[in-house]
Amino acid sequence: MLDDPGEGWAVVIDEVVRVFTPRKQAPVRALDGVSLRIPRGEVHGLLGPNGAGKTTLVKILSTVLLPTSGRAVVGGHDVVKATRRVKPLIGIVFGGERGLYTRLTGRQNLEYWGALYRLPSGEVRRRSDALLERVGLTDKASQRVETYSRGMKQRLHLARGLIGDAQVLFLDEPTTGMDPIAAREFRHLVIELKGEGRTILLATHDMVEAETVCDRVTLIDHGRILATESPRSLREMMSRFRRIDTEGADTALLDEIAAMAGVVAVTRADGGARIQVDSEDALRAALKMLVERGVTAVQTSLPSLEDVYVELIGERGLEV
Amino acid sequence: MHGVFTGIRLQIVFYRQYPDSFIPLMTAPLFTIIFLMIVRNAGRADLSPYAVVAPVFISLWWFALFHGGLVVQTDRWSQTLEMHVAAPTSFAAIVYGRILTVTAVGSLSFVEVWLVARYVLGAPVVIHHPWLLAATLVATAFAMAATALVMTSLFVLIRNAFTLANSISFPFYVLGGVLVPVALLPGWIQPLSKVVFLSWSADLLRASLAPGPVPDVGFRLAMIVGLAAAGFALAADLLRRVLRRIRVTGELSLR
Repeated sequence: MLDDPGEGWAVVIDEVVRVFTPRKQAPVRALDGVSLRIPRGEVHGLLGPNGAGKTTLVKILSTVLLPTSGRAVVGGHDVVKATRRVKPLIGIVFGGERGLYTRLTGRQNLEYWGALYRLPSGEVRRRSDALLERVGLTDKASQRVETYSRGMKQRLHLARGLIGDAQVLFLDEPTTGMDPIAAREFRHLVIELKGEGRTILLATHDMVEAETVCDRVTLIDHGRILATESPRSLREMMSRFRRIDTEGADTALLDEIAAMAGVVAVTRADGGARIQVDSEDALRAALKMLVERGVTAVQTSLPSLEDVYVELIGERGLEV
Repeated sequence: MHGVFTGIRLQIVFYRQYPDSFIPLMTAPLFTIIFLMIVRNAGRADLSPYAVVAPVFISLWWFALFHGGLVVQTDRWSQTLEMHVAAPTSFAAIVYGRILTVTAVGSLSFVEVWLVARYVLGAPVVIHHPWLLAATLVATAFAMAATALVMTSLFVLIRNAFTLANSISFPFYVLGGVLVPVALLPGWIQPLSKVVFLSWSADLLRASLAPGPVPDVGFRLAMIVGLAAAGFALAADLLRRVLRRIRVTGELSLR
């Protein structure tokens, strides 16, 4: 059980459990005692496979869903007991094609959602114009959303999430289906928002996104938190998966290295090889052997966040 | 009230962007012509008020069921429903505002039906009791709004909602005495019609188009208003159930 949240925490989650009981099916424990604190101004990634509990957690924090037990506080207000105080503080950006009125124009959508934040109409228009400019949709503002590309819709989603000047933003897989350039532009926007001091919870599958924009990342699976660290710290935790990428080592040498203590695996491909080790000693020993045998094309690296993800969550293929 | 006005504004914008929504207003005059031709060819010009009242209710009912009734469900399909739940403005207020607008637009059908009947077909449709007509139309509009509010939650809460929507119209036209007076129906059906506001509204509307005094005006208007109030109470309970399904059980989520 966490202490009462003090100043400085944008989001506090304390042993939150969420159980769904579908008709004629066994109960599903989507969140199983999740606890987490996110300080103000942090971009916090929530990484996990489909069905891990990311969207469920976002819905609880955004007051759409009630927790079965536990407590969550956003902006200093309990999401269950003080729902009305939470709502004006937050903005939600869901990914995907839906969540907008497609026959309305971009501006009409923004002005409507702005009105729901009880803003005066003049202020709604001013903010809508500013946000459309910011997300690069000014030229398309008077066109129906149904004519927008996927990336444009996603930018409009972000503008809609910001129309209430939210201090805490929940982004639920916002770049799903976007092309790499559009996704990169979106990430730039997220970094800008971080620079404005907003707190962002970013639920994502995208490792590049998590490593690029997140200050810390929480790995979640089957409703449980597996780890919460900065992306670099997570990778360093997996030091046993430090790697040596090499070229020009012959088969006999690689076989000798594979037999050394502390060498986890040797993977060969296209004239090169990747040597995985589980300790600094093994790394030094393998490098020494390579160099002594005249192999100079060597490079060491930490595992990628994807490697960490796969290692902690496991190879489940298409299984949910 | 902010939420209600926001809902009204949204629905007006929708009507501008979805002009096909006004199709029922185009069919109401056609129904008027059909029914008036029937009574005219039968040599029963005295039944002209019946022929005029029926298209009004058919149009209003259509607006209530297929516009108002689908407000929440279409938000669910477009995945804006959960966004509304998370927004600072009451979702219920938005829904009320949108449905009030739908009902007001549907009420325009009376104007066009009367104009077509009186000035296109030359039917002897005279408004003998204008204040009664106005009061009945207003009370009917509220009762129709209550019906739409009930339907908008019901369509989300039950399976096979569209089957229900497509099936219940004609039974309600019969029970409501919209074209054929309830007095001509089998005796065992008549008590059922008393709990359908359409029967009270249709009778009063026809009475406002007929000469001579209209008995029990206050009581009959009160029945329409009372049934509307019961409808609003039921609608409020059903909308609470919808919100409960979203927040407590998570059943209505599409993501």
